Amino acid sequence: MKPLALVLAAAFFVMAILYFTGHGYPVGTHYKHAVAMLALAVVALIWYRFLSATPTRR
Amino acid sequence: MVARKPCRFARTDRTVTFAQAMFLAVLQGVSELFPVSSLGHTILIPALLRWPVDRSDESFLAFVVVLHLGTAVALIVFYRRDWLAISRALVASVVRGRLSGDRDEKIGWLLAAGTVPVALLGVFFQSAVRSFFGSPATVALFLVANAFVMFLGEWLRQRQHAAGNRTGLQLEGMTWADGAKIGLAQGLALLPGISRSGSSIVAGLLVDLDHEDAAKFSFLLATPVIFAASILEIPKLFEPAAHVVALEAALGGVLAGITAYASVAFLTRYFKHNDLRPFGWYCLIAGGAAFLFFVTKGVT
Repeated sequence: MKPLALVLAAAFFVMAILYFTGHGYPVGTHYKHAVAMLALAVVALIWYRFLSATPTRR
Repeated sequence: MVARKPCRFARTDRTVTFAQAMFLAVLQGVSELFPVSSLGHTILIPALLRWPVDRSDESFLAFVVVLHLGTAVALIVFYRRDWLAISRALVASVVRGRLSGDRDEKIGWLLAAGTVPVALLGVFFQSAVRSFFGSPATVALFLVANAFVMFLGEWLRQRQHAAGNRTGLQLEGMTWADGAKIGLAQGLALLPGISRSGSSIVAGLLVDLDHEDAAKFSFLLATPVIFAASILEIPKLFEPAAHVVALEAALGGVLAGITAYASVAFLTRYFKHNDLRPFGWYCLIAGGAAFLFFVTKGVT
């Protein structure tokens, strides 16, 4: 699952850049979509953090 | 003498007046948190009073951004202790990399689970949905639908309790799926006339929260959504047209904040011992009457 979290974070980050620059969109930049993608990238990184932390020893 | 060209960003007949702005600020502050749909009311009442306000005008959009900011700040101030505890717990859990079972931490991640779906729905579908369903008559019908959502929620909850298969749940006892369900239910409020707090309180009741906890979770869940939506619209405040209503926006934001604070203070006490049905009756009567008015006057 850890690689999936990283891949998702990278994919959302790239999509955020694409939305922000308006690349491939004829109607200009979509900064709200870009911010949403950036937020999802952060969520994926937090997920990665939870997956990669050392388990508690009992 | 050279005739002066009319300024593109001067007041027009379609610019909101000071009195209208103050009325809309109070309306926003109250109806954003009462389960009666703020968006629905800000479409219906100007249409009923035949105010020639252009809702798509840049100055009006800037004014609305400030009203929402005022409401969000009021919610943050009212729940400041909860937000402080939740923020600390969330940061600590991310630093630690695991959940500790702390109550504030659980509520924080439940709010995150509820915020992601509604934020995505809002970002990708808000404009399309509102332009498609934004006519006053349609909004009046959705206000009637909002009444039935609340009646149905109360009826289903009573049935579940009468059947004895529900025992009552604390906020921190909810599952991640429960949090996401409440967030998705909040997404119904993209339809003008459907209340954000109404739909999320009903969803909270259906996952077995009591009215008090369902309302608290709904208000906490609304805060990041309203705040983030306002922040994303802040560039509108720097448009030249925004200066036309600068005074109205500043005073309106403060007024919306004060009325929102009073509303949430009232509602948190109200839901200790009361339910959604009075708001359902209000939406049914107001929505039904407004729909009949618009149909008979040919306003669709």
